[in-house]
Amino acid sequence: MRTEDLIAELAASGPAAPALTPRGTGLRMLAAVALAAGLFLMLAGTRADLAARLAEPLILTKTLLPAMLAAIALPLGLRMMRPGARIGRAALWFALPASLAVLLWAATFARTAPAVRFADVTAFALSECVGLIIAIAALPMVFALRLMRAGAATRPRLAGALTGLGIAGLAATGYSLFCTQDNPLFYLTWYGAAIAAVSAAAAALGARWLAF
Amino acid sequence: MTAKTTDRDRDWAAALAAANAGDARAYARFLHAVMPVLRGVIRARGRSFGPDQQEDILQEVLLAIHAKRHTWDPAAPVAPWLYAIARYKVVDAFRRRGAAVHLPIEDFAEGLAAPEADPTAARDSAALIGQLDPRSAEIVRAVSLAGESTAEVGARMEMSEGAVRVALHRAIQRMARFAKGERG
Repeated sequence: MRTEDLIAELAASGPAAPALTPRGTGLRMLAAVALAAGLFLMLAGTRADLAARLAEPLILTKTLLPAMLAAIALPLGLRMMRPGARIGRAALWFALPASLAVLLWAATFARTAPAVRFADVTAFALSECVGLIIAIAALPMVFALRLMRAGAATRPRLAGALTGLGIAGLAATGYSLFCTQDNPLFYLTWYGAAIAAVSAAAAALGARWLAF
Repeated sequence: MTAKTTDRDRDWAAALAAANAGDARAYARFLHAVMPVLRGVIRARGRSFGPDQQEDILQEVLLAIHAKRHTWDPAAPVAPWLYAIARYKVVDAFRRRGAAVHLPIEDFAEGLAAPEADPTAARDSAALIGQLDPRSAEIVRAVSLAGESTAEVGARMEMSEGAVRVALHRAIQRMARFAKGERG
């Protein structure tokens, strides 16, 4: 086919898709993960005396840290929907939750007696924590990546990873209201592992689904 | 940005904005305006490809721009958006063609120049083509080795040009699987 003919055909092919609205897309992602986390909390219930517990800084951190991670990752993922988008210096924001997590982990490790440090790590506790965060995040993550197909990410793997990070961070935020593991060594490690797993899966799916 | 490119971008932006609002003539004007720029990019990056293949890649880039034209942010300049799509599709096209179409030719050239150097190289591409069905093998030989255009091959074999391309693409994928030791 001659390129001239192709252009004539393209020009005559009708209207473009609706303009991309990252904000609207982001709101739909938020709604999806809020629905999943809300459903989980409705079925499983929040932990007892939640309000009193959240007044304790180390327990509040369990909720706020993944929320902070999501607040950074999700907008960056949405930004990647446009061709040629870069993260650049905005990636430095990740240093904030990351350094907080590392400091808190190291400080807790140093202050805790060796026998107690990992005493709460049981097969059940692990599969409950990691499994439920992944379970809450899975469908919203898939939904979010499907929404992102309306965009044109020229770095699809990164776009997927960031969105997965954001969705999993929000899922962990919701899960933390149920979770009674208040040892930072436990929740930093295993929330981190669950969020990393969802993000890795989203990166792999992004490379497939967001390529155009 | 120089004054000239700013002017150019303003023209592109006006045309693309009108196009996305449904103005087919503005859209045709936009595609015509960006075509030479894209052709230049493809020519500069893809010197190892023949003019026909470069034109195919140009058409792939135009199709991607068409499919994704709603992702341009009207508040942002057009050129970075356009180049990002072009670069993405050109890399994609080169990766597919570079690996699949051009290696067999180089294998042949090396094999002819130095028959003892790597006894597997020349035999491999001939053997890979030999494993194809006769019709696919003829298409691969004609396009990849003899350098005929898909249109010429189509006319000779009484197939549409598109059918030749599809057959070629599938044959090369099968050869890649043969090369990895799988059966097609």
